[in-house]
Amino acid sequence: MSSKQLNMVQAINSTLDMLMKEDDSIILLGEDIGKDGGVFRVTEGLQAKYGSERVIDTPLVELGIVGMAIGMALTGLKPVPEIQFQDFIFTAFDQIVNQAAKMRYRSGGEYNVPMVLRTPYGGGIRGGLYHSQSGEAYFAHTAGLTVLSPSNPYDAKGLLISAMKSKDPIIFLEPKRLYRSIKSDVPDEKYSIPIGKAALVHEGSKMTFVTYGSMVPIVVNTVTKHSIDADVIDLRTIMPYDGETILNSVKKTGKLIIVHEAPRTLGMGAEISAFIGERAVDYLMAPILRVCGPDIPFPYKLEEYYMPNEGRILKAINRVQEFR
Amino acid sequence: MDEKEMFVKAYKAMALSRALDRKIVMAQRQGRVGFYTPTIGQEALQIGLSMALENEDIVYQYYRDVPFMLHRGVPPATIIDQIMGNSSDIEKGRQMPSHFSSKQYNFMSIQSPVATNLPPATGAAYAIKYRKKNNIVVTTFGDGSTSTPDFHAAMNLAAVFDLPVIFLCENNKWAISLPVEKQTKVEIWKKADAYGMKGLKVDGNDLFTMYETAKKEVERVRKEQKPVLIEAVSYRIGPHSTSDDPNKYRTAEITDGSEKDPLTIAEKKMIEHNYLTAEEIEKIKSDAKDNIEKIFDEREKLPAPSPDTMFTDVYEKNNWIIDEEKEEIL
Repeated sequence: MSSKQLNMVQAINSTLDMLMKEDDSIILLGEDIGKDGGVFRVTEGLQAKYGSERVIDTPLVELGIVGMAIGMALTGLKPVPEIQFQDFIFTAFDQIVNQAAKMRYRSGGEYNVPMVLRTPYGGGIRGGLYHSQSGEAYFAHTAGLTVLSPSNPYDAKGLLISAMKSKDPIIFLEPKRLYRSIKSDVPDEKYSIPIGKAALVHEGSKMTFVTYGSMVPIVVNTVTKHSIDADVIDLRTIMPYDGETILNSVKKTGKLIIVHEAPRTLGMGAEISAFIGERAVDYLMAPILRVCGPDIPFPYKLEEYYMPNEGRILKAINRVQEFR
Repeated sequence: MDEKEMFVKAYKAMALSRALDRKIVMAQRQGRVGFYTPTIGQEALQIGLSMALENEDIVYQYYRDVPFMLHRGVPPATIIDQIMGNSSDIEKGRQMPSHFSSKQYNFMSIQSPVATNLPPATGAAYAIKYRKKNNIVVTTFGDGSTSTPDFHAAMNLAAVFDLPVIFLCENNKWAISLPVEKQTKVEIWKKADAYGMKGLKVDGNDLFTMYETAKKEVERVRKEQKPVLIEAVSYRIGPHSTSDDPNKYRTAEITDGSEKDPLTIAEKKMIEHNYLTAEEIEKIKSDAKDNIEKIFDEREKLPAPSPDTMFTDVYEKNNWIIDEEKEEIL
């Protein structure tokens, strides 16, 4: 089985290429994705290969990009709209939340919207308020949407393949901080990572970390560097999250720390904490802790204070270790 | 179908729609229907366009298009089932009345926020063009919708990509309580020019004029694969919805059955063209009324959908979260 060392940009690009080759109903659309290959170069070379009818440089209108993609999906195509930065998505929010997400339900199952909306999210690239946001909770809170976020190139390919097979709208969140910072061995062949299944990326017995996206390598590195005996769960699917894997791990370790970049209040950490509180409170040996972005807008110059880091994760580890 | 048959069919749909409208408004007052957005006054413009379309053409309609649906063959029972939200409703009782959907007749499912059907209509047209098919897309909306970002986005995209879309603005002069003069400073049809597309205005109260214009435009859009904005001027004879009292903000310009009522105008012309006699018209109207009464009474008896249907169709397959919530509630 042949494979290549790829970064996440290359993994997504080659996956789109592979899928487009075999299915002419796949259409990419977005701002600067064609000739320019996208501001992060994720769609580099695809317009030259598949033409401007299939890799569409659209006018600058997020609600139009998503709205158009919805109409394409309803008419037999498989659109992959790109929103250049997740921070720009909000003018399209109504199309996502009121059209795409509710179409199957409101039409009694007659219509559905098989669309994979790709968008880079999160901080760590000095983007300030409008190029750094992590808005996954907005989408996870909407029935009808499926929210995915890979943490490495291998998962990016496998999750994207599953997303493209789905008959429902998918929000595919790409942690832009990891676009080029890590490489992994990516098989040339097609493989899929099931939606709704988390990965246990580090195994231990004394505490459980739940995280996803850009925070996965930071948590794993911290745990490895300090020889912490911990389970680290990479959600991969944010909604519907893999409750079973989280529950089994917490029952084993009795301690839970959730790490994400998005603001703490009403973030995924709040949901997972409540989930465990409802089901496994008698297994808990320490308070559930959240290491998250603070509830302030994402700052430009001081972003390293905003994003969870080794120091803050260690503090949480020390705190749960006080409970025996 | 010759011209006469076409217009007789169109008139019958107008009369049927009017009968249905009156019945539903009455039933709402009696507490038998929850809510409704009357379509009275907009029959001619919708049916005039519908006459020019093929079955395969796709309609991204809004919530005041019952005449359009009836003319294209959607059975009145299907419309009433949706209004009642009963066990036979295609949408399984999920949407409030007036939010229809029918895949069989190529009507898209309706949402409440206005104009949000317009951008998807451009995507449907893109798909048609990409597959080199011959059908076109129609999207309908009121005058209020022309102020939204969705209208702007869709008009621009349709023009930039040369898409076969008919934008039908059903200008009934009122967006709930706001008159069209306060909605926009220019005539709606003129906005097309700014996007680089053809725009035109037509008397939407006259079935014959509307059909003539629609026929030309449908043919042109199909052939040239380019969009058009048609402003069909009419009048919202009824309230915005059964929850609205227009006496608060306006004096009625046109009333049910008056000279300027599109139904009256159509009847006059049907007689002039020798398509129908006055007696035949009366018969069509009373048949429509009886028919609607009968269907309404029958559909009203149907039960609500079973509670477990509430938890289907969120996704292709339920996830564990929905299954768990269903278990708790039912």
